[in-house]
Amino acid sequence: MVAEPSLQTIPARRPRHIEDQALRIEARNVWFSYDGKSNVLKDVSLRVPTVGMTMLLGRSGSGKTTLLKLFKGLLEPQSGCVLPGLAFSANGSGAAGIAYIPQTLGLVRSLTALDNVLMGAFKRTGVVRSLAGSFCREATSEAKEILGRLGIAHKMDERVQRLSGGERQRVAIGRALMQKPSLILADEFVSQIDAITAEEILEMMSGIATRGTAILVTTHETDVVAEYADRLVVMSGMGTIVHESLAGSLSEREIKELLR
Amino acid sequence: MTLPPWSARGLGVLVAGLALLSMWSIDLLDLSRVWPAASNLAEFAGSLIPPDLDVVPTLLDGMLETLRIAFVGTLLGLVISLPLAFLGTRTLFSPVITTPTRLFVGAIRTVPSLLWGIVFVVAYGLGPAAGALGVALYTVGYLAKLYYESFEGVDPEVMEAVRSTGASRPQLVRYVVLPESANAIMSQLLFMFEYNIRASAIMGFVGAGGIGFYMLGYLQLLQYEKLMTALLMTFTVVMAVDYLSARVRAILPGMERPAKRAPLTAAITTLR
Repeated sequence: MVAEPSLQTIPARRPRHIEDQALRIEARNVWFSYDGKSNVLKDVSLRVPTVGMTMLLGRSGSGKTTLLKLFKGLLEPQSGCVLPGLAFSANGSGAAGIAYIPQTLGLVRSLTALDNVLMGAFKRTGVVRSLAGSFCREATSEAKEILGRLGIAHKMDERVQRLSGGERQRVAIGRALMQKPSLILADEFVSQIDAITAEEILEMMSGIATRGTAILVTTHETDVVAEYADRLVVMSGMGTIVHESLAGSLSEREIKELLR
Repeated sequence: MTLPPWSARGLGVLVAGLALLSMWSIDLLDLSRVWPAASNLAEFAGSLIPPDLDVVPTLLDGMLETLRIAFVGTLLGLVISLPLAFLGTRTLFSPVITTPTRLFVGAIRTVPSLLWGIVFVVAYGLGPAAGALGVALYTVGYLAKLYYESFEGVDPEVMEAVRSTGASRPQLVRYVVLPESANAIMSQLLFMFEYNIRASAIMGFVGAGGIGFYMLGYLQLLQYEKLMTALLMTFTVVMAVDYLSARVRAILPGMERPAKRAPLTAAITTLR
């Protein structure tokens, strides 16, 4: 049996022309407001394909996080709908096959990296068994294998609070992968780590995207788009989508113009 | 928020006025009583010294019983408090469950520990068992409140992220709420134990066992030197427990993480 290559070593094979336009998930004419007065999202429609990394760019407060939460089913749109795409069958339907990584990563700091990754197996593990802290051998070895692929197997027994920013990002990715998702939603994923670590993490995410898991990443950093995104979506500060295309069709300067 | 100088001054005058009015209404400003009170206090303080050490062996038995009452009462209180605290946590349950739970905990908290002691002396009979049950119920009133407030302090993004993995409510409690609140749970439990030693020390006043039984006897027989020995013994034990609890907190795993809000300060504020 050939060993699975490390995610770090997978070259970023980013298709410049996405032919597979099958949908993973779609937001259709979505309106959303937190207070019932001012709309955070205004008539937003977005189709996320089954492959590649889609980057959702927008300034702070443009509604990127809200859109991600709507995709995950953590929020309900006031108007419009979020529909699972036709290709959404790999691991259940709707939000079940979607892993969500919030901006702050949402890791349990007082637990170990392995414990955090194992939380991705909750749905596969009986409640009583998981409460006793005894995940099945298959889940445990899978979690260890994922941590190994992410390059932090040696840190699996470390508490998250003792890990560096980049290592925490990897644990969060590990927990997402453990859910065997068809789509990973990552919110402002690399905005709080240094540039070199951010590149490593994006490289890793790019590797995951080429292996059949669609990724939707929100960011406000325009410089990472050209290198890592397969598709580009730009949101205005008014909660609307102002541009959608394959990456590379816009220069960094043009993206910045759109964000203004 | 900073108050403008004129309103800060106005607030100061208002508080001072209210304080004076309250002192007057409870006869604290009756100067004719101040001097005799000071003289009585001085006489009482004088009669406490020197402490009578002959009663130490007798009091040790009472003190040990007090410690047992506090220990059992605190543990029983913890066992009852935790599920109540989960049910009172708004990030875990809807108001349909949290509101009645909080009302129930609040009702328990309304009754002073000594009154709970009397209730259990009536129900269970004289002795330390009644004291332990009284302390347990008193503990529930405070610990459940302190705990559900700590549980609600757990980062909502962590709760949301783990919930989004498909975690059930018990899994959220086991893997997020308990580990993230471990520091607060332990700190407040140790604080409560220390507090309960003092509460248990007076349980004997109502026949619910412990060193309080001796204290009441010495008070009634005006044997203040012996009372002083009992007070010193209680003080020493409380200080020792305080020191030990600080040591325990320092060596427990996961305790090095600074709490979002100082649990001990929160506990003291609530208990006051």
